[in-house]
Amino acid sequence: MSELVQVQDLRISYETARGIVYALDGVDLTVYSSQILGIVGESGSGKSTLGMAIGRLLPSNSLRTSGDLFVNGKSIFDIGDEQIRLLRQTSLGFVFQNPMSTLDPTMRVGRQIRLVLNGPASDDSIYELLRRVGLPDVKRVARSYPHQLSGGMAQRVVVAMAISRQPSLLIADEPTASLDASVREQILRLLLSVREETGVAIILLSHELGLVAKYCDTIAVMYGGRLIEAGSNVSVFGRPGHPYTKALLEAAPGSERPGDWLEAIPGVPPVLQSSAHGCVFEPRCKFAQETCRTVRPALRPIENRLVACHRAEEVLRAEPSTAATHGRIA
Amino acid sequence: MRRRLTSAVCRFVSFARNDRLSGAAALVLVSLLLLSLVGPYLPLGDPEGIGAGPRLAPPSFEFPLGTDELGRSYLPRAIQGISATFLLATTAVMVTAIIGGITGMLAAYKGGIFDGIIVRIADIFFAFPIILTGLLVTAILGPGTLSVLAVIASATLPMFIRLVRSVTLAIAKRGFVTAAEVAGASTTRVLFVHLLPNIMGATIIQLTYAISIGMLIEGVLSFLGIGVQPPQASLGSLLRQGVLYLTVAPWMVFSSGFLLTLAILSINLLGDGLRDAIDPLRTRALQ
Amino acid sequence: MQIIQYVIGRFFVALATMFGVSIVIFAAVRMVPGGFEQVVLGPLATPESRAVIIAKFALDRSIIEQYGHWLVAAVHGDFGISMVTQTSVTQELIRRAPATIQLALMSLVMALSVGLPLGVISGLTNGRPWQRSLGRLLGALGASIPDFVLGSLFLFVFTVWSLGPTIGGYVPFFEDPWTNLRAMVLPAVTLAVFGIALILRTARDAVKSVMIEGYIAFAVACGERPSRIVRYHVLRNAAIPIITVTATYLGYLLGGAIIVEVLFSVPGVGLYTYNGLMNRDYAIVQASVLVAAAVFIAINMVADTIYTLLDPRISAQQRAS
Repeated sequence: MSELVQVQDLRISYETARGIVYALDGVDLTVYSSQILGIVGESGSGKSTLGMAIGRLLPSNSLRTSGDLFVNGKSIFDIGDEQIRLLRQTSLGFVFQNPMSTLDPTMRVGRQIRLVLNGPASDDSIYELLRRVGLPDVKRVARSYPHQLSGGMAQRVVVAMAISRQPSLLIADEPTASLDASVREQILRLLLSVREETGVAIILLSHELGLVAKYCDTIAVMYGGRLIEAGSNVSVFGRPGHPYTKALLEAAPGSERPGDWLEAIPGVPPVLQSSAHGCVFEPRCKFAQETCRTVRPALRPIENRLVACHRAEEVLRAEPSTAATHGRIA
Repeated sequence: MRRRLTSAVCRFVSFARNDRLSGAAALVLVSLLLLSLVGPYLPLGDPEGIGAGPRLAPPSFEFPLGTDELGRSYLPRAIQGISATFLLATTAVMVTAIIGGITGMLAAYKGGIFDGIIVRIADIFFAFPIILTGLLVTAILGPGTLSVLAVIASATLPMFIRLVRSVTLAIAKRGFVTAAEVAGASTTRVLFVHLLPNIMGATIIQLTYAISIGMLIEGVLSFLGIGVQPPQASLGSLLRQGVLYLTVAPWMVFSSGFLLTLAILSINLLGDGLRDAIDPLRTRALQ
Repeated sequence: MQIIQYVIGRFFVALATMFGVSIVIFAAVRMVPGGFEQVVLGPLATPESRAVIIAKFALDRSIIEQYGHWLVAAVHGDFGISMVTQTSVTQELIRRAPATIQLALMSLVMALSVGLPLGVISGLTNGRPWQRSLGRLLGALGASIPDFVLGSLFLFVFTVWSLGPTIGGYVPFFEDPWTNLRAMVLPAVTLAVFGIALILRTARDAVKSVMIEGYIAFAVACGERPSRIVRYHVLRNAAIPIITVTATYLGYLLGGAIIVEVLFSVPGVGLYTYNGLMNRDYAIVQASVLVAAAVFIAINMVADTIYTLLDPRISAQQRAS
């Protein structure tokens, strides 16, 4: 397993009309080839910013205040516009949330694929690509405009375009959030089969714990612009080491047991106007103590995972029964 | 009342700070309006006093904008002109905004045949070229302010109907309107309590543009000699006079042309600013 | 197939609108003091010709029959006789159309060739705050300065100093192109300034709103070349509002260039209509309004047809509703 993406202490903020908002507040992460990494977090946790940063696709009001991000060993912030374009073209593939707005409404699907393929492409190669993402009647699909396709079909077309140049990493940002429940699993299974076929690594950014737990081998949990827990699926979701992960799992639908009280996480996720000194989750945390308010917890390895919590040991010991929970949501 | 005024001023200050160009435009506009309101009471001379000075005299201390061909001081005439132009455009546009707004809301809300008929009528009026229609209206009503009002109304009415109708259509689909209907609210209540506050923003923006169009129409018609008739002055009729003496007394055209352009420009800038404040566009760098 | 259906449907809508316009004009002309005979004949017509007109337009019949006769005559291009010149209004309009059309085309070409590239570029780039403010100010100024103010300024500058372009002195283009262009350049520029500002602003806003669409982000994410993104995705999707204002502008040019024609003595349809009104020659005014409205409706129909070719969703929506 070679290192595909390395994120080092990355801080990114946005200049908005209401002042500066911190989206990423010192994130460290490594993505290996052929991995399926699920990044979990609420909206505003910074997961989309992280995903877009890998392709340097951040809006013009964004600002990198520290850190670096390497793809294939090269910093994407050091290279020129033409090189980053070539990197996107050859090594990265993106799948966005809403396929209907991802496809150009004024252009036939076949022509859009041809444009992305960037070079002379035969009709047959376009049909072959559409067949690979499991679309029936490929000639008709290629002749269609996006509005003539269903959401699921359109997302398959987007996947086809994303994998058309054999990328080594596929970044899927909430790829199923705008689709019907019945289609969601199909799209994720498609991504999985693409990985088996080509060995492409996948980063799945999602707020749906169930889907991430079911399809990803590695999990990273983000909160308030920070990575708070990362490790294998079994260790992170099996026995969470961070109070936030634990609370998420307890609040997830499907984890309830008869007689349980619903434990919603009290408070709201933060909008970061400044970099917090202590732990970002501290105001909502049941385990919080004095140090949590003043000292930022470093990401440290405990029991097969990395956790950014001063009291990770206590959290791990707190209630071993969450393993049963994991069995149910997966 | 006082508190509302203060909060309005605060909101304006924050709007003007975000968008200085529009803030400046709003200030210019307010000064022009004030000038046209208090102008007649300022000791500037009689706008219709023939022979107050020499004819076609260049600007001087006594006549800051010079005099016209009958020896009238041009400054009070120009102020009378702004006030007439403002008054005509605003009156006509206010009336069409109310009529067009209610018609547009009703058309969108009622739908069906009523909507179809209103849309067709708006399309028909929209197809008339403004100035040519102005000539036709003048043929019927005769030259004068009535024709100007009628032409401004017929030009701006379809704009309001179309705009308000499309905005209402977009809003009527939202949940709160359905909720009000289910709760048994009457049509009038739905229109004025639930829909009206939501279409105000777009209507106010359209109002600013419509007033600038109204001022333009007044200018064109009076410039052609079929609008405001002498001895009354409007910016358009002043320009018409000025063009006759363009080479001997260019200050007449320059000053009235400048005032008209300034007024229309500041209204348009204010409209742009309001539109940006209500519906901002974010841009992504292409790289 | 959908598109053909849409175009046919759109044609009937245009026809219905034109029908409505004709009713409004018919009613309006009847309200002119002196009535319809005076519109067609002028106040000084002889009793004999009056009788001919009463028979021809069925003025002794019901109002609906009168409308029918009037409409049939108008459709056949018979708008009556100009009382001043005693010539057919239709022929006079045809004779004067080339000057107006030339003026409209010159202004349109100038407006598009300057406004479109500037608008697209300023939509694609963000620029510094002062550059944006300056651009906004100039754009608003161009859209705000009334054409008769700008025309008067040109009139002043070019009568005081002789700088090449002439004021008046129009000759048909094919008789003497150079003299023609010297006479036409000022009126064309006067009309073009507004068009440049209009198209620039529309193109900038349209491009800006396309740039935040998901498919642009996706094209960037796929590593497409910026030039290709602009060419294949941005321009095509931004085209519809640009075409809308271009059509409106062209309609304005063809129907409303009265001011510049009067100011610069261009013997086009606008000047003809203006003189007609001044001479109480109302047949001319009636005919011009009808023709201009027809041209405007036709231009908009063509624009709507272009939309459906550019954006396949439009004809689909139309059919669904």
